[in-house]
Amino acid sequence: MSLNFYRRVAFGLSPNEKPDKDPLNWAINQLDTIPDLLWPGTIPTEKDLRKKYGEWVYGDREVLRKKFKNDKHAYRKAKDELRIKTGERYFELNEHAIRHFQTKYSKQPVFERFWLFWGNHFAISEKDFLAEFSTGPYQREIIRPNMVKTFEEMVQSVTTSWCMIHHLDNSESFGPNSKKGMEWGETINENHARELLELHTVSPNAGYTQEDVIQLAYIMTGWAHKWDRKNLETGDIWFDQEMHQKGDKIVLGVKYKNDAKRELAKVIHDLATHPICIKFVSTKLCRHFITDEPTDEMINPVIEAWNKSDGNLIEIHKAVITQAYKYNENTHKFHPPEIWLMQLSRMFDLNIPLSFEKMNYTFKSKPNNRQRQLSWILREIGHSPYRAKQPNGWSDLEVDWVSPELLLRRFWFASVELPMLVKSGNRSHDFILACLKNNFEDHENMASLIENFRFGTLDYDLGQKYGVICNLPGVLKI
Amino acid sequence: MNCTRRNFLIGGSTTLFLSGYFPKISFASMQKKNLIIISLRGGMDGLTAVPVIGDKRLKKLRKKLILEDVLNLNSDFGLHPKLEIFHKLWQKNQAAFVHATNIPYTGRSHFDGQNLMETGAHIPYKEKTGWLGRGLLASNIIGKGLAISLPMPLLLRGVPQNNNFFPSPDFVETKLIDQIYNEFKGEHNELIKSTLDTIRQRPLSMQIATDSDDRKKLALEAAKQLKDQSGPRVAVFDLDGFDTHAAQGGVDGAHADELEEVNKIVTILHENLGQAFDNTLILTLTEFGRTIKQNGGYGTEHGYGSAILMAGGLLKKSQVYTDWPGLKKKELFEGRDLNSTIDSRAVYNSAMSICFNQDPEFLRKEVFWGDELPDLSQELFKI
Repeated sequence: MSLNFYRRVAFGLSPNEKPDKDPLNWAINQLDTIPDLLWPGTIPTEKDLRKKYGEWVYGDREVLRKKFKNDKHAYRKAKDELRIKTGERYFELNEHAIRHFQTKYSKQPVFERFWLFWGNHFAISEKDFLAEFSTGPYQREIIRPNMVKTFEEMVQSVTTSWCMIHHLDNSESFGPNSKKGMEWGETINENHARELLELHTVSPNAGYTQEDVIQLAYIMTGWAHKWDRKNLETGDIWFDQEMHQKGDKIVLGVKYKNDAKRELAKVIHDLATHPICIKFVSTKLCRHFITDEPTDEMINPVIEAWNKSDGNLIEIHKAVITQAYKYNENTHKFHPPEIWLMQLSRMFDLNIPLSFEKMNYTFKSKPNNRQRQLSWILREIGHSPYRAKQPNGWSDLEVDWVSPELLLRRFWFASVELPMLVKSGNRSHDFILACLKNNFEDHENMASLIENFRFGTLDYDLGQKYGVICNLPGVLKI
Repeated sequence: MNCTRRNFLIGGSTTLFLSGYFPKISFASMQKKNLIIISLRGGMDGLTAVPVIGDKRLKKLRKKLILEDVLNLNSDFGLHPKLEIFHKLWQKNQAAFVHATNIPYTGRSHFDGQNLMETGAHIPYKEKTGWLGRGLLASNIIGKGLAISLPMPLLLRGVPQNNNFFPSPDFVETKLIDQIYNEFKGEHNELIKSTLDTIRQRPLSMQIATDSDDRKKLALEAAKQLKDQSGPRVAVFDLDGFDTHAAQGGVDGAHADELEEVNKIVTILHENLGQAFDNTLILTLTEFGRTIKQNGGYGTEHGYGSAILMAGGLLKKSQVYTDWPGLKKKELFEGRDLNSTIDSRAVYNSAMSICFNQDPEFLRKEVFWGDELPDLSQELFKI
């Protein structure tokens, strides 16, 4: 078995890890439990961060905008101060540190790869201040605990989470015949219903119609945040009967009797266990771990495991890994920038993220450059994880990640930034050779390409070496 | 349309390969025409950019947003003083405006709206390609798109081999590429290899540029590339910050700052395109306009109708092209927004037909699913 399996399903091997005698078993054994988050610094709860979100939007919208209505300069200044006080510029950096610390040091790196996958399947795209306050804790508290449950349970949790409801505007969706809908002349907002069908469960392959979207939106009316003057849109999610569309609904030919808040769980059950949903999500999993265009032969065993276990994600994950192992030698998969960065960080023991002591924040001044470094790098290589442009998340296709500028950014990172992230004890040529040997079959060929620089240990020399190594075809993809 | 981007790529390149493709009109025999789109994200306020003159109702509703020193266009409309270049070009019949126009989207969500302004569709997130990408593909113009941004904008998706330009913070030694180029072997490395080719063939000016925060430099480089007869034919700029809920202001407010950015880009393009400016169309694109009434923070909320700012030598004449809906309460969309009486996609479809030498009827079917979009080429552009 090639060493590239450790990068196919995880992040490669760190300098103190050795290849396992039984790589398949090594990988499969990582999926039964949820590993603890290892970050020794602060890990705030979703609820705490939602409170901060509320302080920020309330302060800006209800206080500052009114106070400085005639003075854009004073307004900007006051707004910057509020950013500092509420951590608006800080929490996303901390979340990136938590995430990258996890992928670097986790004893269950294969589990972490699935965590990244599900966070992107149920993506929160860049909207309002979700990236700043909410997407990180959503991935920790909603996605992660559900990874040892069923797919259906995951969909239930995601669909009723504050983050997804805010992201897809379900709080603004009123049943036109509901009490509030009639009083206020409001109607449905279809966003969340459409994405629940299209992106999260059955996909357009199910052939649903616009009427199905409307009917599902009716079922979902009432699932909204509690609104009040002080917390604005950051209140907890509840079911507001007065927003809920009355009457029976029909989605994909199935009738759902008028049953208030219980309707949603029923329709999610049907969607999450729909054969087309199972095929769609199994295909996406295989696409992520095997190759851009997986064949039925690759996907079918995953579907079988899904059906046999009634959608148990542990069993599904194991089936995916088994298939990834089976096809490891003759398939290729391109790694998007963030995974590439995580792999470099683990294989070469880079100095990211920053230590938790240095990440500590006092809410008295802007986060410093060191604290912003990791997030800045992610943005510059084109893959800021909480800032996908659309609700379908980041693409998993090579064709979307290969553009002149996006490739050049990788050369930039590896040759200019990376040398500054090499730990002082790791600057020797022998260290690089050892890491290559630990992770690549053709390490000798790779070493020959940087042979000219073997005596150099300056940043410039390291830049020449890493600039070459990190962008070789066998590193950009497996 | 059910094609995914991937299908497009395969479809696009196979036809190209199989048919031994030759365009109907030989490109060498004519001047290259450039189409430049500047996306204005956040909702550009058409009534701030191109204010209607002497409307008492507007004055009443926007007490704190009224502009002093409006530049004169005609008896009905003025121009924001920060849009100087448009005023200068107006004198030469090289600037024009379409007013009370928008994409057919009334939902007031930035995210849905921006998705739709790029896909040109009716349902958010349904289409995965952009109208400009589909227009290029339908016109068999491959590898001629240039995006001035790091991600490839949705607007350009649907046609393969686009270039993008948004240099990294530091100089990148492209000789590193030479050292590993030969390692990219086999079919599965073809895409990366051909992209490395594109990088290696870049002019030196594109290789040594740094600092993407400097919009001037980016516009300058774009102008250089567009001027080149064999260079890109389409360029896409991205600006954001038009969502001015507060302190929108008049001449010096937050919205003015953003218009100034547009002015800067167009100024640089105009100065540096030289003769090529005569064969160029520059059009802005936004997701919606803003409410007529100022809000409690002296800003405006998300609205509907907006305006398209246009510049370039391919314009027919200086004009404010509009079917003005009026600003009386009952004339407003939902009693609050400037209405849209022209589907802005008709303007973009006509602009593509001019710049890509295509029948607008054909493009309308290929790009916009045959939606009712009148051909405005005669009215707006030089034919």
